[in-house]
Amino acid sequence: MDVVPALRAVGEMRAGDHLLLGYDADEERETVVAAFLLDGLASGHRGLVLGPADLPAELALTFLESRGCAVDDELAAGRLTVDPHLATPEGLWDLDEVIRREARRAVSDGYLGLRVSMEIMRGQAGRGLKTLHDSELLLEPVFASLPVLGICQYDRRVFDDVELAPLDGLHHGRVAADLVWRDELLSITRTFAPPGLALAGEVDDSNVTALARALQAETARVRAHQVDGASIRLDLRDLAFIDVGALRLLVFSALSLHTSGGMLVLHGVAPHVRRLMRVTGWDRIPGLRLSRGDVRQGALP
Amino acid sequence: MTRTGFVHRALCYGSDDEFLDGTLTFALDGLAAGEKVLAVVATRNIDLLGRALGRRRDEVEFVDADDWYGSPSRTLGRYNAYCADHDTDGAGRPSRIRIIGEPVWPGRTEFETREWMRYESLLNVAFAGTGHRILCPYDTRALPPGVVRSATRTHPELALAAGDSAASGHYADPADFYAECDAARPYGLPAGRDDIPFGRGRSAHVRRALRSYALDLGVSEHRLDDMVAAVHEVVVNSVRHGGGRGVLRLRNDFEYVICEVSDVGTGASTVPPLFPGHLPPDRRAVNGHGMWVVRQLSDLLTETLDPAGSVVRLYFKRCARGPTRAACPPPAV
Repeated sequence: MDVVPALRAVGEMRAGDHLLLGYDADEERETVVAAFLLDGLASGHRGLVLGPADLPAELALTFLESRGCAVDDELAAGRLTVDPHLATPEGLWDLDEVIRREARRAVSDGYLGLRVSMEIMRGQAGRGLKTLHDSELLLEPVFASLPVLGICQYDRRVFDDVELAPLDGLHHGRVAADLVWRDELLSITRTFAPPGLALAGEVDDSNVTALARALQAETARVRAHQVDGASIRLDLRDLAFIDVGALRLLVFSALSLHTSGGMLVLHGVAPHVRRLMRVTGWDRIPGLRLSRGDVRQGALP
Repeated sequence: MTRTGFVHRALCYGSDDEFLDGTLTFALDGLAAGEKVLAVVATRNIDLLGRALGRRRDEVEFVDADDWYGSPSRTLGRYNAYCADHDTDGAGRPSRIRIIGEPVWPGRTEFETREWMRYESLLNVAFAGTGHRILCPYDTRALPPGVVRSATRTHPELALAAGDSAASGHYADPADFYAECDAARPYGLPAGRDDIPFGRGRSAHVRRALRSYALDLGVSEHRLDDMVAAVHEVVVNSVRHGGGRGVLRLRNDFEYVICEVSDVGTGASTVPPLFPGHLPPDRRAVNGHGMWVVRQLSDLLTETLDPAGSVVRLYFKRCARGPTRAACPPPAV
């Protein structure tokens, strides 16, 4: 039976949530886990990072440092801890015990809860992922009884969809990066592979500023990694309406990316939007590429 | 004589020979000069000119006028796009284009005919500054005298025998001609119970209401998207430049779905632009695309731009032109 797993934004997680993150790019994992841990610090939770390698704690948490977290202070205060338990060959065997113990300790240390970030390694998963399944199954009662929130991270470049599908049943759903924007017409989410934004709904005069801001932030992020040739992809497959003002914003963003050797790629442009771009000549703007993609029909009334 | 400016010339012909006399030399001169030659003419004239061109027929691009002259603004947009696509030669050097463009007049209502005359006049503005040439044949045997007369007012030049031409003594300045066409445009629609008021931040509401109205009329999904996009732009214009609020009125008759957007105006003493949305905007301009898009997506449009309150009326054909018209559903009550 094909069941689409429930997708929850990391910012909407609650105590008891045990979610799966299948990620395609390191940036995606770091974005979700950083939001998860920083939200925890803000809400009186301890953060426990079960990393895939036996690294010094500061090194394992550089992705938090780069997002404005004073990692050294948090480690010294015990609000963040890094445990190499999962890096050991038998790490999965008693994972439930480790988390149960750490959760109880966090509560007795005065924390309101424990947030656990777990990076799952292929090497420990066992034959046919048996060890992994058992381990995830044993975690369930821990999440049901203690104030714990957890994200199990699976690198989709290592685990394929067929392997991940049965694991959905052992979690309460999947977790994704926080929405960049949501109003009654439009939602904007980040995409990571390739880097960009996915727009769903309608962009018009009431929310074009949100799109401008999201594009600006995305451009800054992409440029931080790559000075020349920075490109952004916008997934428009679920976009039902976009007006001239918002398209003009895309045109000027494309021209700006083009000056530094990059481009703006529009994926899944609906036929009526294509017509509009043809009559304005915007389909021939340097730095703007229209890739057809599968246009989903009837996204909105 | 070498000329560099835009040429817009009417060819009033009363026989096949006169048609050929005017068009054949025009086409051959273009080919001789290495120019791109496009002939958008009536079906039987395609055969006529094609045969006369003989072996050189394939060097001229022929399009059936019925397939090209759908709506005035879209036709202007199409010529503009054609010229943009072909105005450089293989080596990237600027190249001039010759067009034989024979508008379609039969079957047009009085309103449509007037808008096509307006279109002929607007070509003088839209292509001013280009080196292209457009020769417009008018069949004096078939066309009403009023249509033929209008050609002498919308074309600065008239074709004479043997490739010669003379200035038209009746040529009207496009701004004056535009105002003349406007004088006959309809008044605003009366208020009704189904008026859809709008204000800042309410454009989504207008889009929903319009979509549901047009769906009930059986407008195709394809045209519905264009209709919603066009009306939305006019509404946004009203919110931005027309005092922030107004009303959308929807009507339909046998031929058209009519969407009229009126606003309260700003009361400011700004002068409305000449030829709003008729002239192709620079694709890199920071504004001015809205009304151009609106005209390209709608079938006809009349506008009264006034700081004391503007009225823009968009017309969308309910059915395709031509024989299928008879198969149109009856207007909804």
